[in-house]
Parts: sequence; C-alpha cells; structure tokens
Amino acid sequence: MKIVLKRLKKRNKISYISFCIIIFLYSVAFFADFIAPYPYNKQFREYPLCPPTRIHFFDHNKNFHLRPFVYEIKLVNPALNQYEVIKNKIYPVYFFVKGEKRKILGIFTSERYLFGTKQGKIFLFGTDIHGRDIFSRILYGARISLSIGVIGVSISFVLGFLIGGISGYFGGKIDNLLMRLVEIFMMFPSFYLMLALRAVFPLNLSSFQIYILIVVILSLIGWAGLARIIRGMVLSIKEEEYVLAAKALGLSTFKIIFRHIIPNTSSYTITAITLSIPGYILGESALSLLGLGIQEPYPSWGNMLSVSVGNLRILSTAPWMLIPGFFIFLTIICFNFLGDGLRDVLDPKNW
Amino acid sequence: MREILKLENVWVGNQEVKILRDINFEVKEREILSIVGESGCGKSLTLRTIIKLLPKNLKLLEGKIYFEEKDITEFQDMEKIRGKKIGMIFQEPSSYLNPLFTIGNQIEEAIKNGKDRKNKKDRVFKILEEMGLSKNVYYQYPHQLSGGMQQRAMIAMAIINNPYLLLADEPTTALDITTAFGIVNLLKNLVNIHNMSIIFVTHDISLASFISDKIIVMYAGIIVEKGNAELIYNNPFHPYTKKLINCLPEKYQKGERIKVIDGEVPTYKNLPKGCPFNPRCEYKIEICEKKLPEEIALENRDVRCFKYGKIMES
Repeated sequence: MKIVLKRLKKRNKISYISFCIIIFLYSVAFFADFIAPYPYNKQFREYPLCPPTRIHFFDHNKNFHLRPFVYEIKLVNPALNQYEVIKNKIYPVYFFVKGEKRKILGIFTSERYLFGTKQGKIFLFGTDIHGRDIFSRILYGARISLSIGVIGVSISFVLGFLIGGISGYFGGKIDNLLMRLVEIFMMFPSFYLMLALRAVFPLNLSSFQIYILIVVILSLIGWAGLARIIRGMVLSIKEEEYVLAAKALGLSTFKIIFRHIIPNTSSYTITAITLSIPGYILGESALSLLGLGIQEPYPSWGNMLSVSVGNLRILSTAPWMLIPGFFIFLTIICFNFLGDGLRDVLDPKNW
Repeated sequence: MREILKLENVWVGNQEVKILRDINFEVKEREILSIVGESGCGKSLTLRTIIKLLPKNLKLLEGKIYFEEKDITEFQDMEKIRGKKIGMIFQEPSSYLNPLFTIGNQIEEAIKNGKDRKNKKDRVFKILEEMGLSKNVYYQYPHQLSGGMQQRAMIAMAIINNPYLLLADEPTTALDITTAFGIVNLLKNLVNIHNMSIIFVTHDISLASFISDKIIVMYAGIIVEKGNAELIYNNPFHPYTKKLINCLPEKYQKGERIKVIDGEVPTYKNLPKGCPFNPRCEYKIEICEKKLPEEIALENRDVRCFKYGKIMES
C-alpha cells in the first residue's frame, strides 16, 4: 500500500492529490460530529436562507484582531430574506468551543467542538429555508453520500466477480444461464429500474432502512454490466499459459479463479471500481432528488441539492444552497483521477 | 527399479481425428526419458495426457495410464497428483508465470503440505538456493528476471513438493545455449538429489541423447522408435530417426548443404494410409501404404517399421 502511494506520488501528481482529497473528505465525514458546529437538524428559525457568514480579521475601524471574529447578523426583510450586518457586535471565533451536548460517533458525549462562537452564529456555507447550517449538514450528508458509493460498489463487485468469474471459467450451460440473467438486468434503462425497484418498497421506512434499501438497489443495478465484462476477461485469461501452469501445479479451481484469473483483470477492475463509485453517489442523489431517497431531516448531498433545484427563486437568491453539488462534483472528479492513476501504478509491468 | 509411469496403448483424439495412436512406454525410477520429434508430432500432447490437462476438444479415447503401478486412467482427483507427485515445466517460462505475483509468492503457493508461513518461506529460500538463484529473487516479479532465471524459478515451483516425476516440456527451447545447458545440468542433478524421474521433451536429438537414458522418437502421433539413448543416437534403425539425426549440423563439414527431410509433416486430418512416414521414406515398400506397422521389439529398442532388418544392413 505504501509502495503504491509512493509510486502514485511520483508518477501521477493529480491522482495523488485526488487521493489526498478523498481521504480528507472521508475523515471529515467520519468526524462530522466533532467538526460540525451545529447538529444537522438544529433549526434557527430566525435565520432562514442566511448567506454564508464572513470571517473577519479587521473590524470596521481597520483594527486588527488576532482572533478571527464574526459580526452579528439580523434578518431585516423576512419576505425577501435580506440580512444586515451589525458592525458593532463582534463575536470572536474560538477553537474547541463549548456547545450543546452531543454524542460523538454514537459512543461518547462531548460538549466541545472544533470551532464556533460563544455568542452569535457562524454559518460557513449559509443556511437553508429552515435555518439549518449547510456546512454542518454537508458534513453529516457526506457520511451517507460517501459511504453509499463504497458499500454499493463492494456489493456489486462481489456479485459481478462471482457471477462473471464462474460464468467465464466454467462456460457451457452455466455461462448461458447466468448471462441471460445478466441481460435481463441490462435490458431495462437503469434509472427506471431504480425507480421501479424503489417503488416496490413502502415509503414510510426508517432512515436506516432506506439507506440499506438504496445501497441494495444501486448495487443490484450495477453488477450486471460488470459481470459481463469480467466474464469476457476470464474467458480470455483462462487460456493464458500461466493458468495451465497453475493447473499443472495441482491448484484447486477456486484458487485458480481467485488467485490467477481475477487478479489479472485488476487493470480493468480497479479503474472500474473508482469510476463507478461516482455512479452510486449520483444514483443516491437522483433518488433523493425525486424524494425517494434519504428523507428529511437526515441530510445527504442529493436531498440537500433537491431542495434548491426544485425552487427557482432559491437558486437565484441563495446560490449557497448549491454547495452540496460542488462536493458531489469534487468527489466524482477525484475518484476519476484516482482511478486513472491507480491503473498505471498497479500494473507491475510499469514499475 | 520401480516403474513410475506406464502408458499402455494410449489413443488421444476426437471423433474426427486421432492424434496420438497406440502410445506405449514406461518410465522407471531415476530415469530420464526424452521424447524427440518435429513440431506437431504429439510430444507435448503426450505430456498433457499424462497429467490429464488435454485441450478441450481432445480426449483420451483408449488405453491405460499407470502411475506408481496404480491405474489413474479414470482417476478424478488429479489435483492430488498434479504438483505433488507429478511436476511439470513448460517451454516459455515468461508466459507460464503469473505476471502479478512475486516469484516467492508463486513458489509458496505451490507448496501442498505444511501450513506454517515461516517454514514455507524457508523452504522456498532453500529451493531457490538449490536452483542457483539468489534470495532476492523471492521478492521479484517474473518480468524482472532473465529467461534462464525464470525457467529456474519454474523448476523450483515444479519440484518443491518433491514429485516422483517431472514432465519437462521443451524447457530449453526458448533459452540460449549456455543457459540451456545450465538448466540441463540442473535437471540431471535433480535425478540424483531428489530421486526423480524426468520426461524431457525436446526437438534436439543430440541434447536428448546427451541427457537421457532412453529416447522416444515420435512422428505424426506414433512412436517410431524407442530405446537406449546412446544406441539410437549412434545407430538409428527407423528411417525417420536416421534422417532426423542426419539433419544435425555437427554431422557436416563447413559449407556443406544440410540434407533436410524431403516433404512435409502430414496434417492429422489427411494422414497417409499405413505408416505415416511412408510418403517421405526412401525405403518404402508396398505394405507401408496399407498397414500401420506394429512395434517390433529388438535388442534394447522397439522400432515401428516393416523393413528394420534390411535398413540396418544398407
């Protein structure tokens, strides 16, 4: 692993940077409880659609403050959501500030958070219609959006490897049967299949059940195409001489498939894995966008975006509502670069 | 000496063509047997019949295979024999090693008994040393090694379980002459150190006579001559063996034209009737076109030719 990273750093700077960003995003999502200044469902009714709070070092008298501070903000026109900055009320920003008690990672409680103000409010990315802090919600939403890709990909890759591998290696009737099954899955346009599968299940599920459901639905759609490609690769790799040599060494069929054939598809599959994670993130977003995914008040990048995209007025007056979209974009592009880089680096012939 | 392997009346092919016809031979303990012949005469196929890794479209039609005096013709659990009791090495080591794993990793994988990882690693180091490879090779990938080193690594893989029989399918063909002789010496040593028998397939009849006790000469899927290696090399009986030996450059002066065998090797779909060598044979008589000759047992050898006696005199 270390060697791979070293090579990645040396040979492909962009994918190394992407890798760092991905790691950063995942760790931020992991520590969301601690980093987020507010809980994801905390509503500040007096601050709906508040623009991002600016952090200052110089006050209006041009005096420098070592500790950054924010001004008090006040809603002046509730109809148009216009805010005014009150310049004589200064609230410094503290690290490890005390706040409401919250559970961290569901294990221990803490009342200190990474940053915040003692009085006043700090909304780094603004607030939504209900006055919830978008920055905090993005952190919590990252948990769902980022994990759905990884879990979904692992399920559909296990399925794809298993079915594609068996189908390609044994051939004949098994191959025929499994490939017809794959075709059934590939026959439907994936988006409608996704909707249809979602429609089969009731709407009033708990958020965790919905999360599991979405993962399963997404991976059920994803495995078919993959199994097809794995089968094709296995068909050609099983004729390779080293497979014959492995047979002559008396290795079991299982070992031959999973140690000699499947790893040799890795140049393709590693790229495919990293390239298909964005598909899952987008799939979740698409479901959430239609209100079929993660339900409010639980945030995911997709359902946060859906509120803003559904309302043209919000789009024009509160563009910060689109920030979750930027994070989706960032994640996807990073995974794409990482996939490209890994393909180069992981092939021993390139070392 | 114990018989390790015995093939009895083995026929391999499918409904359309028969490739191997009536193969009979046996290998004794600590014996090196060479199979020689032109490309496509069924040498490699014979090996793959023994280890039961025939290409999909071919199967064993008839005959019996005995390994350690047990009939393994119908034996299903070949995984227990392959690698453990019969090892096999191949022609082009570069393509027979998995490019994704280190040499050490692949040799370790071949070890059948023993679960202890540390112990396995020691065994691999030991065998690498025996093969004349440095410990470094353990951590290297196949493409980082030269052809000769790759072949040594393959041999290490094949013999790590101390098999009774090693099938060597043209192990020196892809190598240059010095490396090839290095490998040949290595194989010869194996017989002494590990009590192994070897079936050595090669094109090169002079190399075969150099390393082996017995030679089998094959032509178009049949054994035309088999017997003591030196005897056959110095005094071949079958017209095909004669011509084959006559093609060796060392039999000629500089500037002389080498007499190659006229005609072509027949394809298996249009085998000539009778003896398959008859269109290219200068001693052809009438019966050669009608009947496949039986193996005729002579002193120290078997020959499959109707005219063996007369040829000897001419």
